Amino acid sequence: MAIRHTQAHRGPAERRARSRRELEFRAVLDAAVDAIIVIDHEGTIEEFSRAATQIFGYEASEIVGQNVRELMPEPYRGQHDGYLRRYLEGGSPNVIGVGREVVARRKDGSLFPCDLAVGQVREVEPPRFIGFIRDITARKESDEKLRRSEAELRLAQELANLGNYVMHPVRGKQDYFSPQLHRILGIREGDFKIDREEFLDRWVHAADRKRVADAFVRMDAGQAPLDIEYQVVLQDGTVKHLHHLAQAVRDAEGRIVKYVGTIHDVTDRRRAESEARVLQERLTHFSRLSTMGEMAAGLAHEINQPLSAIATYAQACQRLMRLPEPGTEDVIAALEQINAQALRAGEVIRRLRNFVKNREVKREPVDCTRLLEDLRTLADTDARLHNIRLRLDCQDALPTVYADPIQLQQVVLNLVRNAIDAMTDVTEERREVLLSSRRTEDEEVEITVADHGTGLAPEATEHLFNPFFTTKASGTGLGLAISRSIVRAHGGRLWHTPNDDCGVRFHFTLPVSPAVTGD
Amino acid sequence: MKEQKPTVFVVDDDAAVRDSLRLLLKSVGLPVEVFESGQDFLDAERDDRPGCLVLDIRMPGMSGLELQVKLNERHSILPIIFITGHGDVPMAVEAMQAGAVDFIQKPFRDQDLLDRINQALDKDAGSRRMLAERNMIRKRLDSLTPREREVLDLVVAGKANKVIAGDLNLSQRTVEIHRARVMEKMEAHSLAHLVRMVLEVERPEA
Repeated sequence: MAIRHTQAHRGPAERRARSRRELEFRAVLDAAVDAIIVIDHEGTIEEFSRAATQIFGYEASEIVGQNVRELMPEPYRGQHDGYLRRYLEGGSPNVIGVGREVVARRKDGSLFPCDLAVGQVREVEPPRFIGFIRDITARKESDEKLRRSEAELRLAQELANLGNYVMHPVRGKQDYFSPQLHRILGIREGDFKIDREEFLDRWVHAADRKRVADAFVRMDAGQAPLDIEYQVVLQDGTVKHLHHLAQAVRDAEGRIVKYVGTIHDVTDRRRAESEARVLQERLTHFSRLSTMGEMAAGLAHEINQPLSAIATYAQACQRLMRLPEPGTEDVIAALEQINAQALRAGEVIRRLRNFVKNREVKREPVDCTRLLEDLRTLADTDARLHNIRLRLDCQDALPTVYADPIQLQQVVLNLVRNAIDAMTDVTEERREVLLSSRRTEDEEVEITVADHGTGLAPEATEHLFNPFFTTKASGTGLGLAISRSIVRAHGGRLWHTPNDDCGVRFHFTLPVSPAVTGD
Repeated sequence: MKEQKPTVFVVDDDAAVRDSLRLLLKSVGLPVEVFESGQDFLDAERDDRPGCLVLDIRMPGMSGLELQVKLNERHSILPIIFITGHGDVPMAVEAMQAGAVDFIQKPFRDQDLLDRINQALDKDAGSRRMLAERNMIRKRLDSLTPREREVLDLVVAGKANKVIAGDLNLSQRTVEIHRARVMEKMEAHSLAHLVRMVLEVERPEA
């Protein structure tokens, strides 16, 4: 309108041409998606496009003639006059032809981010400026969202101690390592330029190197995605456990384009697991020691028997030799017995030492019949002390089980001792513990310890396997809890049933050794 | 009566201990019989033979103490020496209260065991002698007539012949004759001897 006003004095032809251009200008103005605003050199608004109305909320009739400052919040508002003056005085154009991101104000007073581009209309006096304004609220929001999701990912990686990466077969090409990955590996961001061979040689723990290299080869060959746990040694010497998952991304021809992967720092978990295992092993060992402590009287008796026999044989020999007609045959037989009894005492001590030795837990194929016969020496000790018979009934040709023999003996001994304790107050005919073994239909060996004792009270049944639960005056209450955990760790079960007439049977199973065919 | 040679009976479940004891006793010329369990010993026919029992206190099945109880129930007089391990003192005390003559901790010096065995055998011989004597006294008492028995009871009660004559409404002379018969039948050397014999078999608890 202001333009029209300045053109009013021109001739009709010129007016027609102008009005056609004007119509075209109007059409451009109204069709443009960006807001278009024309101002004069003082900032007075002369044109206000349809899009401008949509963006700012002003009708053209409301805003034309007002200063463009109305559309600006502080601090732009106060500075705008200064910009215009400086530009007109030949100063540097701050915004002309460049475009910048500014904040504008709607009619309702709300602010929004926008891209502003300004052009100067030449050949008119006074000079005019055309502003192109694009509302970038949506783009800003999505930028913000992206920024936020990146921050969240970063936080999530930090919390999970998980880093990710993208690597290319060609070294250094747009490789990406997430910030957390840098932190896990103890390096500064941007420093990590390393190829696979270097990684294997300088980072992966020597003990794991071959295994990791093989896994990489399988991934490259397309046999399996990488899924491996290994240890790395950081530059400062720290050892970490990593769980590494990765996949090779291939092009249409099957060539590897890149590798994407995650590396999870599982050091804390592994450490906790290994601490728990050490604790469990210590507890198991402690329990064996305390069992032997409780059995000390019986063991002393067990060693005393052969010693006593040796002493008596030796004294009998002296007397026999002093006789006018020494009984040579008797003396020789006695000497043989002395030898045998000394070995017997040594054997008791050897079994005892084996049983209480603090040793590495080691699984191996175990012949249950031999194991039970071996155990008899220790178990008999307790049985004799309480005037109880221990009967052994092993099925012939049992397959071996894969187990730690000492822990297995610990379980059996614990059950036998419980059985003995259950029978201290019963009559003589009932005082027998039956220790039996058999093969089950499920490829297991089942070992059963049956007593004829007083049986289990219902409340005892409930807490039987709880640690520190005991019905004995001097028991730790750990025996059954530890026995069950040992059996479970071997892949078996431990349970109990009432014995036929009276008392209880404890059963446990162990899977038959793999890859060993029964004979 | 034919004098039987005393036998040492050994009950121990441990074959080596059992066998070494057998050899030791054999070396000193003592007859010995060994048994693996209390039940085996009870089952064996012994005809109440003289001797003593060397018994392990701890055995699977019937314990030494349980065998002792069973023997007491059978009124056995066989002296028992218990063999105990370390720390079996409470059981040893129980055994002694139930009438065991002694106990010995293993391992032991052979002489200690042999001394105890000899003491036990002496005790057994003594008890058997005493039993035999009592049987003899009872037989003599049984040979008295009712009247003689009456006179005996009053003599043992310390009454003079005159008093006895009054109590039984007999002449003093008749009492004297009965009394002489009693002394003769009882083979008593003196009045004191007669009283001792009667008390020996007729004490309230005997």
